[in-house]
Amino acid sequence: MLAVENTKCECGHQNAVGTVLCESCGKPLDAALQQSSEPLEMRYDGVARRSQKSNPAIIDRIWNFFSSVKIAIYLIVVTFVTAMLGTIYPQESSFINSFDATTYYEENYGTPGKIYYELGLSHTYESWWFIGLLVMIGTSLVICSLDRVLPLYRALQKQQIRKHHQFILRQKTVYRSEIAGDPKEWVEKFGAQLKRKGYKLHFEEGTGTALLAEKNRFSRWGPYINHIGLILFLLAVLARSIPGWQMDSYVSVPDGDTVPIAGTNYYVKSEKFNVEFYTDDELPEELKGTARAKKYETQAVLYKCVANCDDPLKEPELEEVMDHNIIVNDPLVYKGLKLYQFDFNLTPRLNAVSPILEDKRTGEIYGPFYLPMKNPELKHQLGPFTLEIRANYMEFALDSEGKPTTLSREPNAPAFIFSVKGPGLAEEGEPYIYFPMQKDKVKFAQDTINRELAGKIEIRVDGMENVDFSEATTHLNVRMDKALPYLWVGAVFSMVGLILGSYWQHRRIWLRVDGTELALGAHTNKNWFGMRSDVAGALKKIGVEIDPKTLDNGGNNA
Amino acid sequence: MSLVEFSGDVFLVAFFLYCFSFLFYVIAVTGKRWSGREPREHERRWGKIAFVVSLAGLAAHLAFFFTRWAGSGQIPTSNMYEFMTFLAMAIMIAFTIVFAIYRKPLLGMFAVPLTIIIVAYASVFPSEVQPLIPALESIWLKVHVTTAALGEAFFAVGFAAGLMYLLRVIDFKDTSKSGRKAQRWVEFTLYTILVIVGFLIAVFAFRGAGYEATFTQEKLVIDSQGQQQDVKETVHYYLPPIVKPYNSQAESVEPFLGLDKPLLEAPSWMNGVNAGRKLNTVVWSIIAGTLLYGLLRLLFRKPLGAVIHPALEGVNPEDLDEISYRAIVIGFPVFTLGALIFAMIWAEKAWGRFWGWDPKEVWALITWLYYSAYLHFRLSRGWQGLPSAWLAVIGFVIVLFTLIGVNLIIAGLHSYAGV
Repeated sequence: MLAVENTKCECGHQNAVGTVLCESCGKPLDAALQQSSEPLEMRYDGVARRSQKSNPAIIDRIWNFFSSVKIAIYLIVVTFVTAMLGTIYPQESSFINSFDATTYYEENYGTPGKIYYELGLSHTYESWWFIGLLVMIGTSLVICSLDRVLPLYRALQKQQIRKHHQFILRQKTVYRSEIAGDPKEWVEKFGAQLKRKGYKLHFEEGTGTALLAEKNRFSRWGPYINHIGLILFLLAVLARSIPGWQMDSYVSVPDGDTVPIAGTNYYVKSEKFNVEFYTDDELPEELKGTARAKKYETQAVLYKCVANCDDPLKEPELEEVMDHNIIVNDPLVYKGLKLYQFDFNLTPRLNAVSPILEDKRTGEIYGPFYLPMKNPELKHQLGPFTLEIRANYMEFALDSEGKPTTLSREPNAPAFIFSVKGPGLAEEGEPYIYFPMQKDKVKFAQDTINRELAGKIEIRVDGMENVDFSEATTHLNVRMDKALPYLWVGAVFSMVGLILGSYWQHRRIWLRVDGTELALGAHTNKNWFGMRSDVAGALKKIGVEIDPKTLDNGGNNA
Repeated sequence: MSLVEFSGDVFLVAFFLYCFSFLFYVIAVTGKRWSGREPREHERRWGKIAFVVSLAGLAAHLAFFFTRWAGSGQIPTSNMYEFMTFLAMAIMIAFTIVFAIYRKPLLGMFAVPLTIIIVAYASVFPSEVQPLIPALESIWLKVHVTTAALGEAFFAVGFAAGLMYLLRVIDFKDTSKSGRKAQRWVEFTLYTILVIVGFLIAVFAFRGAGYEATFTQEKLVIDSQGQQQDVKETVHYYLPPIVKPYNSQAESVEPFLGLDKPLLEAPSWMNGVNAGRKLNTVVWSIIAGTLLYGLLRLLFRKPLGAVIHPALEGVNPEDLDEISYRAIVIGFPVFTLGALIFAMIWAEKAWGRFWGWDPKEVWALITWLYYSAYLHFRLSRGWQGLPSAWLAVIGFVIVLFTLIGVNLIIAGLHSYAGV
């Protein structure tokens, strides 16, 4: 048979199972606790928490598990220890370039590296168990808080003023003495002093010889507000895995180009990328001669596509929505879309040339004609000559069979093969290969390839004014993160809670006078030093000089 | 004289004032039992003198900070020298606040030397003003670094009080197993502090003597195009090389006590900038610290803990426990704000992500989780007093690792702060 615990206090109050101190008069309910004279454990004012229910069912058991502060501490400790392990070697996510994780760790760090990789520590923070730990901490936050805050709220709502002697005299701060004169007057005088220190006073109705003085109760809610903030924060972090909530990609924009931002309806143009370095005059001795960057800046313009966006055959219609000079620490921000200065490349890129055609036999010059690297016109008429583009290559190379091929789609070594028709040339046209860049012309021996045609005509660029190139390419990081506002709200809650809970303390003083006998007990959740000086200060004001230290009744600084 | 030069001079003044203040705190605490003195009166008087001198030191330190700021046009918190001087100043501010609450001169005897050590440590790094790189060009440099350092400074004061608690309560006459264990660990903590002092002595002694050795190190670097490149770097040593950089050749090594070539090579997995030199410095620090510890043991002929212990008699350990707890409680929200929230705001502004699991970020989180565990432990029965004091001491080790260790051992986005 189950033993039925008697939870009714001698004052007549019926307490819930698990209550340590009577919710009404504060007398310890447990017989063993009644015998002892040790200071009382005042956590949550000794009220029963939900987790202390009798006959726990399965839900209660889970609840009980997560409601334990001990479990919460274990979770925190395990989390920070695993987080430490994750910093031993670089995480996979810290590599921007593609690399082979299966071999990288072993090659670079030997056997420990291999073990590190095999254990999954090379991606600690994305692993299911680490995220699981965070989720468990979140659960613990919710349950621990609910388990305590509701009973605590109830207990603080209905505090009795005249407490049991056992309760008062077993506080951590206690004062006991005989008083002369009218007790009611004494209590009023003492109360007035506490009131000046910001305490709210509650005198026992009728007699006026018992007092509860209380201040800063709100600070008790600090930890719970903090926990709400942390939960919001964690939820916001988890929400980032909802598709479409966040975006993280990169675009490369050569000077003057307009490039679509994948996954959005936007285009970005880089008017110009600038990098500035400190001059030697600005640098201290040991840094002179080093290229210390001063500023990276992309003069960016953001466009929105308004028509023909998905039709590859038509030019999209763009509308400018914003222009901004993107520098480090100052991204372009437009309706949640953010463009960050990420990297740059100072290799110039050829955009277009305007070459001329010389008839070497007569010395006549025709042209110039405009020849962009991308999407050039296929046919050019230059005086009596006709040029037709047969093929063009962005990064010209010869494959293993000696056939021309292109290595990439970037104009790093462009080449054009024209079919040239004109006076003194074959009727069906003669092939002519043209390398716009001097280095390629030499490297691939343009004149040798073109054979005798090279002696008849030449296509070349006269002067730099006929060359159009981008000096630099900027790399921008494109970001979107819809969870951010929630995250900041969580952070604000958390901070407010921390401040309320840390910089104010809930202080309560109970006193009762029975005849000439004064019993005073005081409790705070933090800062006993301040609690004692409040009591000693108020006593001093009414003529009782004591050293605050003598109020200390032992026990722990919780 | 430029403002920056002037700031260097007042910094020196601050350093000496701190040293004097430490001396006066020692007199205030240990002089109580000198003959012909009224202990309370003595402590009150000398405690006051010491506090005023430490305040003067702080004033000089603040003058250093603001004149350097005005002279260089940028807040002096952007490299290791500047950050460490700022941290030392923050510790003095935190100490002043906690002292104003509790008025225990004893706290000064432990917090002020901590400041002195950090000031000396700062002076190891080059003190020239370095113009800001674009990543640091932000209002958040001011906000994030200063608040984070202030939070950490309160943890430092919590550490000082925790260490005092340990020295106060651990019974050096106890010969039981657990008693010996506690004594050993306190002794080890003191030894660790001496290793740091040893480091300072080694660095300044060899710097005074103008010692130098040079190595060329070959490194494989993978550039942005994914190409492997062999890069040759010259590494200068200012302490005799016991450990040479990984994969390096000696260019010139001044002989020191017959040591004319390195004895060992740094392991390849040490990633940070100049990892070999740093490892060499660590080895030297341990040697110097051990020598120093040995000398002190010879001098006193008993464990150092037992030497300090009597000075703390008469101090209420509960007060120390509460001061340590209180300092951490005050510091925790400041740390949260500075090292996590402001850091996230800045990271979001600079890199487009509020969190990236960069080692420095992870360690800030570890510090935060550690202290939140501490705060929850305080709610549990049996964790006040001795266990709490140990937690406060270990916590500060984690703080120091976050601030310095991460830069020395692990490379990451914050590596610009390493020297």
